[in-house]
Formats: sequence, C-alpha cells, structure tokens
Amino acid sequence: MPMYGDQGNKLVQHAKRTQNLAHLPPYQTELVRAVTREVRDLDKDVASLLEPFQGSFDPSADQATACTLLVNHLSMRRNKRCLLAYHRTRTDKLEELIWSGSDVLDLAGQQAGGANGGAPAADSGASSSLSPQEEDYFRQYGDLLAAYKGQWTDIDLTGSLEPPRDLFIDVRVLKDAGEIQTEYGAINLTKNSQFYVRQGDVERLIAQGYLQKLG
Amino acid sequence: MDIDDILREVDPTFHAIPQEKRDLQELTRAWIAERSAPELLPWPANSLFERINGNIKRQIEKVEDMTGDMDPKTNFALIVIQTELERHRYLVRSYLRARLAKIDRHTLHYLSTDALRARLSDVELAYATRHQALLHNHYLSSFLSSFPANLQNLNDAAAGISMIETPDLESAVFIRALRDTPVEGRGVDTDEATEMRESDIVILRWADAKPLVEAGSAELV
Repeated sequence: MPMYGDQGNKLVQHAKRTQNLAHLPPYQTELVRAVTREVRDLDKDVASLLEPFQGSFDPSADQATACTLLVNHLSMRRNKRCLLAYHRTRTDKLEELIWSGSDVLDLAGQQAGGANGGAPAADSGASSSLSPQEEDYFRQYGDLLAAYKGQWTDIDLTGSLEPPRDLFIDVRVLKDAGEIQTEYGAINLTKNSQFYVRQGDVERLIAQGYLQKLG
Repeated sequence: MDIDDILREVDPTFHAIPQEKRDLQELTRAWIAERSAPELLPWPANSLFERINGNIKRQIEKVEDMTGDMDPKTNFALIVIQTELERHRYLVRSYLRARLAKIDRHTLHYLSTDALRARLSDVELAYATRHQALLHNHYLSSFLSSFPANLQNLNDAAAGISMIETPDLESAVFIRALRDTPVEGRGVDTDEATEMRESDIVILRWADAKPLVEAGSAELV
C-alpha cells in the first residue's frame, strides 16, 4: 500500500542518482505532480479535520485527531523538502553546465548522444530532458552569469581552475574546429593534428572538447 | 607566501615595496584565506580589486605593444610578462570562483542580515539577489505555486529548525600565528588553551580561529 512520502522518496532517489551522472536525466514531471497533489490533498484533509472545531481545537482533548494532524503536517513539509532538493540538485547541475560553456542547444544534442550510447531511453529522443521551467531557468542563469562576467572584462571567469604552469602547451585536435587567430598568426585546427599553442588562446576549445591537452 | 612576506611587513623599508607587489601579496593572502575558510570572508575594502584590474589592464596593453617586435630580447620579456599575467588572472579567477561557490551554496544565509550582506561586493550582491530570485521563481513555477499558501515560504523556521542552511563554522582550519598569541580551542572531549609563538601552525575550529584572524594575530594557510 502506498504511504505518505513514498513518492517524495522516489524524487530524492532520482536527485541522488543525478548527482553522479554526467548528463541530466529526464525531468520527472509525473512524479513532481503526484507529490504536489499529495501535499494539496493532505492540506485539504487538515482543513476538513479542523473544520468542525471552528478554530477552538484542543490537542489534549482529542489526541487521535491531534496525531493525525501532526502526521499530515510533517508529511507535507517532508514532501516540500523532497521537491526542493530534487529541483535544487537539477538546477545545480544546470549551472555547472552553463559554467562549462554549454547552451540549451548543446544540451539537447548531448542528450540524444547519451541516449544512443547508454541504456534504452524510454523518453522519445526529440523531447528535451529539461522541463520548460528548467529551460527558462537555464537561459536566465546564463544571462545572469554573462552579466557577472561582464564586470571582469580582462579575466575569463569560466577559465580553468588549474593553476597555470606553462604559457604554451601541446594540444591534439580531436574534432575539426576551423581556423583560430592567435597573435602568432592563424592556426588551422584539423582533426588529429598537433600544435604547440598558448594555453590562453585555446582554453575554451579544450573545455568544449575540440582539443585535448597533452602531457 | 612564506614567513618572509610577514617579516617584510614589519620591516620599516616595507613601504619601499611598489604598490603592485603589495597588491599581489594582498591578493594572494585573500585567495588563500578564502579557500581555507568555511564561510565567506569580507570583500577587501580598500579598492584592492580596482587596482588589480588596473594592473592587469596595463600588463595586457604592454603585451600588445610588445607583440609586433621581433627582437629576441623583447620576445623573452614578453613570455615572462605573459606567464605572470596568466598567473595573476588565475589568482583573481580562483578567488572570485571560491567566493561565488560559497555564495551560491548559502545564498539566503548571506542575504539574510545587513552584516552578512556587507561581506559581498556590489556585483556579488547583485548576483546573489538575482540568483535567489531566479531559483525562487523556478520553484514557484515548477511546484511551489500550487502549494497551500502557508507552505510557500523558503525561510520557515518551524519546530526550531530553520530552512536556511548556514556554513559550518565548527569545521577545522589551519592557521599560522603572525605574532605570539594565546589560543583557545574547543575539542570533542576537552578544551585546550596554549601559547602560540610566531609562525607556529595549529589546526582548530574556524569559530575559535576567527577572532585571531580578524585581529591580525594569525592568518589562514
């Protein structure tokens, strides 16, 4: 028999699993809806339980009702926590993706790629694994981050957090990236070629997976 | 950063050190401290970052000026300057990101009182406020708006437990004494008090170390 909080528990498990995944699994629209519904139902129960008392409920006089109220009350709050945790885990993940330079289109492509390689995906390939609200959030946070970064024009905040050791590094080209301009002239990045370049010039390309740092 | 830096600070010839170098030392200190401390430290007040930004800009201009020059000597100097520039940028980036990570983690906490808000720079404050608004909006449109009104808050303190998480001030940090100073640390079983001599390093709870650091008797390492 399903109990209060079962659905919430499932959400938390999803969130826990999400933490260790490289990509974002599909948004659990149904589950979120079910947990929210449970909260509303419980709230209605509380209201109808309290109704006959007309605001003069004395917990010590009717301990059974008091207990029911307490359990309902706690279940509602627990569900709320589960929902918050689930959404926060996902937004954290989204923010991580934005910091590493993906945009919404990248994300959709990445999902399709992940579905081909991984377990048989139950969701249809075309639909995004983000809820519409999450897509909004993704865009808005991207704007926010861009605004914050705009305050630091000379420093690329999304750059590597590894302390720089050498000014120049060896890189191998994993995917064709076209021509880039450096202060030493243009370099044409064709697949499988290898270059000795200034790290600052190619950092973004490394982060996006076009280049691999050697050594 | 080592003991020499500290000695230099008490040296009367200290002010002979160019401003740029002192700025860099200050930045390095702030960076180390920020990365070690479990809570957000105050934003440097003395317009340190305006100066640092200025320094970086000047160096970039210098690099641009020197670039066309094919003289091998200039070329070498160019590499040195660029390397320094990259390191300088890394320090700033790492520092800002460390702060941002803390702000993101406990946004509501840092926005909750004026004293805490004062630790953020203007830009950080704007970022934190907007980020929290975005999150709240996201929760609302995803599920919170269909909740009963009395459950829609994000800052309830029902049953004595606040919904707002705060940083763990009891976590351990390493500090180095900058002058001889008594130190008291609370342990699990017993508390202990001891005399620290200059350049001694001890590990203790941040809550105990904080007054020493704020008084300038010790620094985080």
